[in-house]
Amino acid sequence: MLTVSGIRKTFHPGTINEVRALQGVDLTIEEGSFVIVLGMNGSGKSTLLNAVAGSFFVDEGKIEIAGRNVTAWPEHRRASLIGRVFQNPFSGTAPTMSIAENFALASRRGHVRGLSWALSPGLTRPLRDRIASLKMGLEDRLDNAIGSLSGGQRQALTLLMATWLKPDLLLLDEHTAALDPKSADQVITLSDEVIQRDKLTTLMVTHSMQQAVSLGDRVIMMHRGRVLHDIRGAEKQRLRPEDLLDRFDEIRRREQLDESAAAMLGDLYI
Amino acid sequence: MTLLLGALIIGLILSLLALGVLVSFRIFSMPDITTDGSITLGASIAAVLLVNEVNPALATLAGALGGAAAGAVTGIIHTKFKINSLLSGILVMTALYSVNLHVMGRSNVPLLGSSTLATRSEEFGRSLFGGESVGFFGWSVSSADAAMLLLSLIFVPIAGMALYAFFRTHLGTSMRATGDNPQMVRALGANVERNIILGLALSNGLVALSGALLAQYQGFADAQMGIGMIVWGLASVIIGEALTGTRSLGLTIIGTIMGSVLFRLLVAIALRWGLNPNDLKLITALFVFAALVFPGFLERLKRRRPTVS
Ligand SMILES: Nc1ncnc2c1ncn2[C@@H]1O[C@H](COP(=O)(O)OP(=O)(O)OP(=O)(O)O)[C@@H](O)[C@H]1O
Ligand SMILES: [Mg+2]
Repeated sequence: MLTVSGIRKTFHPGTINEVRALQGVDLTIEEGSFVIVLGMNGSGKSTLLNAVAGSFFVDEGKIEIAGRNVTAWPEHRRASLIGRVFQNPFSGTAPTMSIAENFALASRRGHVRGLSWALSPGLTRPLRDRIASLKMGLEDRLDNAIGSLSGGQRQALTLLMATWLKPDLLLLDEHTAALDPKSADQVITLSDEVIQRDKLTTLMVTHSMQQAVSLGDRVIMMHRGRVLHDIRGAEKQRLRPEDLLDRFDEIRRREQLDESAAAMLGDLYI
Repeated sequence: MTLLLGALIIGLILSLLALGVLVSFRIFSMPDITTDGSITLGASIAAVLLVNEVNPALATLAGALGGAAAGAVTGIIHTKFKINSLLSGILVMTALYSVNLHVMGRSNVPLLGSSTLATRSEEFGRSLFGGESVGFFGWSVSSADAAMLLLSLIFVPIAGMALYAFFRTHLGTSMRATGDNPQMVRALGANVERNIILGLALSNGLVALSGALLAQYQGFADAQMGIGMIVWGLASVIIGEALTGTRSLGLTIIGTIMGSVLFRLLVAIALRWGLNPNDLKLITALFVFAALVFPGFLERLKRRRPTVS
């Protein structure tokens, strides 16, 4: 479903701010697979998702989604294949527009937007039912500006919007990190429900070991712009939070070793 | 009375300009100074065609389309060449000054003796009211002015409703969202750049339509007529927001039309009371400045609390 081969991305190349955010990532994700992406801050998780979504073009490598080579597609064109929820609850919705209008926008993802009415009974009726099933009491507020809702409510709605038309690929980037624990749990439960029900191919970034072991069928761990570990199948089923923490410790030790080695070399030669 | 009637008519004609400014400034959050050039472009295209005896409705439409093209150029400079939106507008406005002079061939085109929408409505007025003047709440006004007012009162609300309807379609909704949250619009598969180009074309099309009608009402097109018109539009939008609030799109559109008419009336009254016409633009600019600063200023006063840090 998603094939990423040898992608590289360097921000601000040739300046003192140069960051090699992706240094050759190869990844194949089968249809219906739910992949958790772990990694320390700055390891390139968001950059990977942004590269797939087309927020920028990669320097090298190839990206295929649903059998189509999308490497040169602009972001809005790739959106016909991708549903996305961002970390910031403000990013996924148009605040001054109503809940219903936000869903009208989502209902045309990947389609031509013409001069027919955005709000039709064909949209609002199923919308009311779907939103009622969230049990957030929002079904009677479809005409309220979405900006008046809480972050948790907005993330739940953004998730429904991203999956209103079944996407070939769902990208979730720490989409519960900005929420209070209770709302975060609600949104995670909802995400898992939707993903299981529609068998969505999903990449989900998180910092929660708990989520990494209890959700999904595969975990990849990124480090310095590369995929360092890829845990799947029976190994993923057996995975415990401690195992993941051990792997993080190992990364940390290696990092320190690198640093002390660099310091030693610096002392010797500079 | 004739003075008030004239102010009402011009207020209604300029409300189309105000609606154009509403689209660029409020919906896309881009103060677009192309406005100053495109109102003149609409007026000059229409005037030259009218002098050459083109059908007035067609001439007016051509003027509007000219403005739409100018807006699209600003949009293309801004989105494709990544030039700051204000600067893009300044470039096009400056270029339009020459374009307008070329279109007109000189700096002023009088419409004396041409058949225009204004002369047509005069004829219509004479046949409707059966004479040169008509009683109007006890005043006697020229039937030409009365007919012009009647037609503006019909046409402007229709234009407002058409704009409202457009912004409720799938395309219009995605254009409104573009001003609200471009990142989200991109993630939902709409082309943000195309929406901005379309939006500025729509905005300047309305502005140029306003210019084409104004030229016919006042009987001439002039290379200088656009100076400061964006600020006029902003003032109308701001007054409109004070009148109706911004809770819904429909109210905002109604407010903008009312704001334009009210502003024009206030200006007519002030001029009547002896305001120096040379000070008009200074006062308009000060008014918009105050309207933009005061809400934020009041907010800050409210938020300032005597706390120790
Ligand atoms: N648009 C950008 N411009 C410049 N540098 C960037 C940009 N996006 C990411 N980076 C840099 O690339 C590196 C990888 O960042 P990325 O956001 O992918 O990390 P992450 O794994 O998502 O981290 P976190 O867990 O903190 O979200 C970082 O050093 C970051 O500063
Ligand atoms: Mg990140």
